[in-house]
Amino acid sequence: MDGKIKLPQIIITAFMLALFVLAGFLGMDIPELVSGSFTKFVMNGVLVLAMIPMINAGVGMNFGLPVGIVAGLLGMCMAIQFRMTGITGFLGAVALSVIPAVLLGLLYAKILNMVKGKEDIAAIFIGYSFIPIMNFVWTVIPFTNREMLYPVGAKGLRPKISLENYFGNVLNELMVLKLGKISVPVGLLLAYAAVCLLVYGFFKTKGGTVMLAVGENEKFCQLSGIRIDRVRTMAIVLSTVIGAAGICVYAQTYGFVELYNAPLSHSFPAVSAILIGGCIGRRAKISHAVLGTYLYQTIYLLSAPIANAILIPQMSEIVRMIITNGIILYAFLKQERRRRQ
Amino acid sequence: MNLSLLFAIMRVAGSPCADIGTLLLRRRRIMGKYVLEVKNLEKYYGQNKVLDKVDLSVRKGEIYGLIGANGSGKSTLMNILFGNSVIAATGGYSGDVLFEGEKVKLRSTTEAIGRGIGMIYQEFMLIPEMTVAENIKLTRENTKGILGKVLSPELCFVDRKKDNEDAAGVLEQLGFEIDNSYLVKNISVNAKQFVEIAREVNKGDLKLLLLDEPTAVLGDEDAGKLMKVLKELAEKGTSVIFCTHRLHEICQVCDHVTVLRDGQVVSDYGRDELDMRTLARDMIGYDVAAVKKEHQNREEKEILKFEDFSVYMPGEFLDGLNLQVYEGEILGLTSLSGHGKLAVGYGVMGQFPVKGEFLYGGAGVDVKNVRKTIENGLFLLPDDRKNMGLLLEHSVRDNIVFSGFYGRNLFQKKAAGIFPVRDRKEMERCVEEQMEKLEIKCESAGQKVKELSGGNQQKVCIARAVLVAPKVLFVMEPTRGVDIGAKEKILNSLVQINREQGTTVVVASSELEELKRISDRIAVFCEGKLSRILPPDATDEEFAFAFTGEEGKDGR
Ligand SMILES: Nc1ncnc2c1ncn2[C@@H]1O[C@H](COP(=O)(O)OP(=O)(O)OP(=O)(O)O)[C@@H](O)[C@H]1O
Ligand SMILES: [Mg+2]
Repeated sequence: MDGKIKLPQIIITAFMLALFVLAGFLGMDIPELVSGSFTKFVMNGVLVLAMIPMINAGVGMNFGLPVGIVAGLLGMCMAIQFRMTGITGFLGAVALSVIPAVLLGLLYAKILNMVKGKEDIAAIFIGYSFIPIMNFVWTVIPFTNREMLYPVGAKGLRPKISLENYFGNVLNELMVLKLGKISVPVGLLLAYAAVCLLVYGFFKTKGGTVMLAVGENEKFCQLSGIRIDRVRTMAIVLSTVIGAAGICVYAQTYGFVELYNAPLSHSFPAVSAILIGGCIGRRAKISHAVLGTYLYQTIYLLSAPIANAILIPQMSEIVRMIITNGIILYAFLKQERRRRQ
Repeated sequence: MNLSLLFAIMRVAGSPCADIGTLLLRRRRIMGKYVLEVKNLEKYYGQNKVLDKVDLSVRKGEIYGLIGANGSGKSTLMNILFGNSVIAATGGYSGDVLFEGEKVKLRSTTEAIGRGIGMIYQEFMLIPEMTVAENIKLTRENTKGILGKVLSPELCFVDRKKDNEDAAGVLEQLGFEIDNSYLVKNISVNAKQFVEIAREVNKGDLKLLLLDEPTAVLGDEDAGKLMKVLKELAEKGTSVIFCTHRLHEICQVCDHVTVLRDGQVVSDYGRDELDMRTLARDMIGYDVAAVKKEHQNREEKEILKFEDFSVYMPGEFLDGLNLQVYEGEILGLTSLSGHGKLAVGYGVMGQFPVKGEFLYGGAGVDVKNVRKTIENGLFLLPDDRKNMGLLLEHSVRDNIVFSGFYGRNLFQKKAAGIFPVRDRKEMERCVEEQMEKLEIKCESAGQKVKELSGGNQQKVCIARAVLVAPKVLFVMEPTRGVDIGAKEKILNSLVQINREQGTTVVVASSELEELKRISDRIAVFCEGKLSRILPPDATDEEFAFAFTGEEGKDGR
């Protein structure tokens, strides 16, 4: 039963297709919407992958995604500070964010290992309490590149740093393929595929399989001589690093590095996406993340223009909310029921 | 000394079929028409036919025995009768089930319960975070307050006091003592079993009770209590289908027995035709040769030492143990259930708080550091296999090699001289060897463990422990839930690693008979204290006294 696509995924896919059809009737530019859906998909895709290691190790949803995001922001700021541009700039930003990601991840893991059983809620609060600290840090951090600083006073980082002169859109513009009127960002998709493959490959290694086993039965693993906390720490650090890389991908598509409160807005959509993709319980697959991200982001993308077109701007937003949040609730209920059985 | 304890001693001491219970409780049977009729039942799991033209008929007030080797389809049959969802999810079944003369096709357990069918599973179905009393009264809570009368019964306040009283009442009726307010996750396995039984017995309108190896996790004493309860239930008119691997229990209580082999009914016996040997032969198709370890006299070199070692395990307290274990021996640990035999191993592996010293090879061991303990060559096979002993979602192969591969870095070879990679060939060879040796019945090594029958899951656990090749192996209830043929294979495996690899084996088991056959010494516990250490050929009387913690006649 595991491999099959289940009813909720079918419903939500149908909803998405219906939106496309509706958009067509309303005379919208379908090829452009499809092209847009690809960009949106990859833009958020890596952030969603950051859920996988933690879920699989039984730590729960990575509600503390802002921790990884902050690491990524630090990496990007450093890259800007060093005036790194183009594709090297992007890769440099990712590489530079690994160190803060590992350090912050270790701290994050330390806390989560102390609150075993209530990780979800703890992670949410870690996310929320970490941001104000970072807000302070952003204002005092001694970066000197004027393009990052507040124009007036030249002190403190500005909330929105443009990447135009650095590595904005470098992946998006890499190898764009025109299929009729649809443009497919091949480079971007390949980059995403590469990350997926890396994560997939990791779960085939010894370290990865142990993580899956810990997620399934901690006691069993402990009695087999596995250091549970170490495996969990590894999963959390990994999730944090992927999160950091994820925000780099996001920022280069978006064209801006968003600091201050922005990291908070990413965790819930990412959690929703993987749930919509069909991840219930303690096992998350790459396919869940991929499918979920595409469905969630595409519905998000379609609903706004449609709502505007049919002049009830709130309506489609409401429907979207009902469906996506309904799915989340469904996923949680299903998960609870499974655990009880 | 109370009466039930006396029974227990006699049961431990005497031959298993000595049926004192029946003698004392003469039953008058009110047997009438058929409550349940099963006709031509067939069930496939994928391509695998697990039930083949099964027919049975159970009368009112009858205790109906169902036996068969591991994987012969007993649990599957029970699941069909209880409308369990796994059946529908795996393609349903064909054939007819008639309940009280009416043809039924149960789609859910709720429906089955509604018709007055109850079931006790081979694996536990309890809610770990609730108390004993809450579990027993679940869905049948007593209520109070007017809110519910006004609105709906669902909204009543639960009358906890009454619930607790009720629960205490049933437990007392079962003759089992446990504090009602313990959380189920903290109680021992046999206590969990009694909670399950109490939950079923507490149902007022029970017409048919399905019991899938209820006694597997119980010691002889507790099993005896259950037999008694079954008889009382049957007398009140409840029919019981009772499935077990302990043939003496079958002989003791059943009115009728059906033997299954590979999903087919191979024979049927009435109460007067019951004979353990014939049943055994019918089940597995050959006569079982009992394993016996030849006892060597070797020097007594201490490998483990317990000094005033206490383990605070709920329901299984161990109090100030002083004991030495000698290198290369098989040491049996036994006690009535809940008297401490299981706590030794769990304490060593840091699963519960401990006090006192535990020394390995003369050096003190920090039991909290499980990894270190295992690296040093100790290994534990727990008795609670579903929660601690198996990765249910993983394949048979993964389970068997897991502890060796991840815990002890076995099955590795060096790729290009440096990188350790898994040696798939060696893994496969070992897995196959174990599957053959223990006759693990499954479609392939890649099948998920949760799809195996209970006894075969147990064999998977044993295979895993054997492959770790530890210096000291703690095993708990190694033959729980396996058929009489597999039991010998498992015992043989233990004797073999002891003899061939020199592994010191500490076996905690409630089956004295098997301990006597494989152990060099047997430590008997009573009320958490070590009461005596006896040689395996000690008299039954000596064991009986050791179980109750009383001094033997010779004043030792
Ligand atoms: N969910 C499942 N999927 C596939 N096969 C299954 C499943 N459940 C059971 N089987 C197979 O059906 C057969 C019968 O299993 P069943 O559990 O009924 O045996 P059993 O008689 O209860 O054995 P035991 O004494 O070991 O408990 C076994 O070969 C088992 O592998
Ligand atoms: Mg079974």
